[in-house]
Amino acid sequence: MRRGNKVWSWIVMMIGILYFFLPLVATFVFSLKAKLGVLSFKAYANIFNDPAFVYNFSYSVLWAVLTIVVGILLFVPTAFLIRLRVPKLRSAVEFITLLPFVIPAIVFVFGLVRTFSHPPLLIVNSPALLIAAYTVLSMPYMYRAIDTGLRAIDVRTLTEAGQSLGAGWGSILFDIILPNIRVAILSGAFLSFAIVIGEFILAQYLAKPAFAPYMAYMIQQKAYEPAAMAIISFALTWAAMGIISLVGRGGGQAQVGGGH
Amino acid sequence: MTTLDVKQDAPLARPAPHKMSWAWLGIMPFFLFAFLFLLYPSSTIVVRSFQNSTTHAFTLKNVIALFSNHYILGAYWISIEISLLTSVGGGIFGFLLAYAAIRGGLPKFMRSSLMTFCGVASNFAGVPLAFAFIALLSPTGMLIGWLKALGYNPYFHGFTLYTFWGLSIVYMYFQFPLMVLIIAPAIDGLRREWLEASENLGASSFQYWRYVALPILLPSIMGTMILLFGNSFGAFATAQALTGGQINLVTIVIGSQLRGDALGDPGLGYALALGMVVIMALAIMGYTILQRRTERWLR
Amino acid sequence: MQTKKFVINLVALLVVAAFLLSACGAKTPDVAAGYTGTKITSVPQDLVTACKKEGMLTIIATPPDWANYGEIFSDFELTSGVKINSLDPNAGSADELAAIEANKGNTGPQAPDIVDVGYAYGATGIAAGDYQAYKVSNWDKIPDTVLGLPAKDPTGLWIGGYYGVMAIIVNTAVVKNVPANWSDLLKPEYKGQVALAGDPRTSNQAIQAVFAAALANGGTLDNAQPGLDWFNQLNKAGNFVPVIAKTGTIAQGATPIAFFWDYNAFGYRDAAAGNPPETVIYPSPTIASMYVQAISAYAPHLNCAKLWMEVLHSDEGQLAWMKGYAHGVQQADLEARGVIPADVKAKLPASSAFSSAVAPSPDQVAAAKTLITAGWMTTVGVDIPTPAP
Repeated sequence: MRRGNKVWSWIVMMIGILYFFLPLVATFVFSLKAKLGVLSFKAYANIFNDPAFVYNFSYSVLWAVLTIVVGILLFVPTAFLIRLRVPKLRSAVEFITLLPFVIPAIVFVFGLVRTFSHPPLLIVNSPALLIAAYTVLSMPYMYRAIDTGLRAIDVRTLTEAGQSLGAGWGSILFDIILPNIRVAILSGAFLSFAIVIGEFILAQYLAKPAFAPYMAYMIQQKAYEPAAMAIISFALTWAAMGIISLVGRGGGQAQVGGGH
Repeated sequence: MTTLDVKQDAPLARPAPHKMSWAWLGIMPFFLFAFLFLLYPSSTIVVRSFQNSTTHAFTLKNVIALFSNHYILGAYWISIEISLLTSVGGGIFGFLLAYAAIRGGLPKFMRSSLMTFCGVASNFAGVPLAFAFIALLSPTGMLIGWLKALGYNPYFHGFTLYTFWGLSIVYMYFQFPLMVLIIAPAIDGLRREWLEASENLGASSFQYWRYVALPILLPSIMGTMILLFGNSFGAFATAQALTGGQINLVTIVIGSQLRGDALGDPGLGYALALGMVVIMALAIMGYTILQRRTERWLR
Repeated sequence: MQTKKFVINLVALLVVAAFLLSACGAKTPDVAAGYTGTKITSVPQDLVTACKKEGMLTIIATPPDWANYGEIFSDFELTSGVKINSLDPNAGSADELAAIEANKGNTGPQAPDIVDVGYAYGATGIAAGDYQAYKVSNWDKIPDTVLGLPAKDPTGLWIGGYYGVMAIIVNTAVVKNVPANWSDLLKPEYKGQVALAGDPRTSNQAIQAVFAAALANGGTLDNAQPGLDWFNQLNKAGNFVPVIAKTGTIAQGATPIAFFWDYNAFGYRDAAAGNPPETVIYPSPTIASMYVQAISAYAPHLNCAKLWMEVLHSDEGQLAWMKGYAHGVQQADLEARGVIPADVKAKLPASSAFSSAVAPSPDQVAAAKTLITAGWMTTVGVDIPTPAP
């Protein structure tokens, strides 16, 4: 029974490997075909020389960084206070942080556009709305990463030690707590980074420059450059995840439902 | 790591209410943020689904119209079809893959490689994934090129990437990994002693699965499949980038509503969105309930 | 622990780099990027000065790779020193007029100054009061008729710029036997390969392709219904693919055979540079149609708009169009004065290739447009969705 098992396992594994790798190989090979007859990195060169790519990609990076910053500023004090002082609200907060899973991005942006297109909340054209929306999207991952980090350290003792040494709340948060959950924050940050860089729906319908809508546009216009962009996108995600597992404690094997 | 888990509040040196109100103030930003950018826009959808779009009077007309509008019913049907297909197909193969890597007698590194890859692959969805499959299966794609060299052109036999079946193949790319990642702990919980005990008692492989393993795993498998269903139902970017909106999924219809009133009635758009949220909520609830049932066994 | 420290520092560096990158990179890309124009000296200098004060020209529905418009953008920017604000490159002619009307009174960057629309939309625009008159300094160099039709509105409300002939672009890496004519396209070997350049309910280019099909299917310039019937046949044969053809989809093979104006087809072929190899054929019979330009009645930057029209009808503007394979209305005049460079002349297809091209009158185009936009869904019944961007 054992031996038959193994053959079966190998077959399944091979099919899996083929299915996962063939598209990646095809994309990579396609991306090398920009020059007729030879394999070259011309498509990549074209992309990096394209001002529209630099423009859109830079903005995606900017949105990602801003989302992470907003997330840290918003979620760290909240998670800290919930854990330390207001445990009663924990389930309410957890419910809120899980809501983005229930509301698909397309429905979310539908609600956002309809809500914020009329005065007095006429901010549908403002980048602030995009950042807020991205923060909501990254909330399940960012908040949970921070919460996990706080769980692993003894918040109560650290706080009381700080208080007894005369530290104010700001100092406690930023000089004592934050450095100790740095690793958890990094995990959440890189996850958010991967999500925002690859996010399509919000950027498209809130009409802001970003990598994924630009890539979707290029699929219509070019044959080889989109392949190169797909490889870049995949490489970035790998890098982000790689850094997370390198830096993190290994327990945060995050399953992400990405911007699909 | 630390055994300093304090299970209850230390006695307070100062009166409690003072601290409590301060803390409540501190978490206000979060709740304000969540209200303004999550709860309020979401509730707008719910409320306006039940409002007449011109008079704003309460009405069930929009929701009822969902069930009589052929275009919308068609969209729901296609979305349900593809979600069923990719959740069951993705669930089955994902389970087989996870089991093969974890308990299938393969080298140990395969399990961690698979888990790492799945972590990345589940985030590779959307526009880049669509193009990866265009590079593989479009008329000038790599795999089609190989098949053509062997004398068989699938495109002449009716295959095309840009329809339902093509999209299903693409969807599997994020369904398999999600299944693998979520079912792995459940498979881990399947104790080897149970397999050994059943072998000792003379049970065949089939009997082991039928009477021991599957009954334990089934709630988890079903639960995850329901999650996969929701995952597929809510997918938009992949379908949009691959087919340009050709396939009438519910998400695609909502997308075209955003660009203009494709349905001819804004209220209908809200009802459509509400329907999606209801389906997703049911999916997540189903998953949670079934997952709890499995956890009983895997303690 | 050392690795972690290193990675954390690396990350901090990355964050800083990210900010710098986004700060430096986030400038709106120039529409003329990649094109080299010239500073035109033959245009009225008072317009140049006045346009400089206005500071912007807003155009709509004009992609830079359409008939080599990119070079004309560059010409304009070098001549005036003013940057062009390009709206909605993928919009159709109908969308352009809708944008004019929707932005009446709006002096912001969403209001178009200039439109470039299909021939039928010249009359439509006048009727709707969307245009204002301006006679360019080269007015007399523009012939009264081109292809037997008026090339300019007598009062100057619109001026014809160039005309195109409906052609077919074929990706020869995917399609081994290049179809020779209309009847070939119905053969089973082209299953799922034939596409239009747009939605025939809104895109002029797509409507004209259907109109051309009418001529091949027993119809006349007054009766476009056989065109719809032909596409219905094409669809029933399984040869029609309801995807809007674009350079990317042609190259990837999703729409390897597509109907485009010849200037677009040749332009895309050249841009592909043989990778994949593409070829352009003229079906016979085929349709020729002029594109006309007009100044919006509510243009916020009137002098820039006038300067733009001057550029279009200068020698450089007309030559730029010709380099883009479009047939400029002043071509005869340029030839007579011998100002067309030899290499440009050599690239242009011989006029015998499209000798079967006929140009419908504005009334005929209008009638065909009405028939095709209304009849597409009833006769052919295929929904061609517009991709998001």
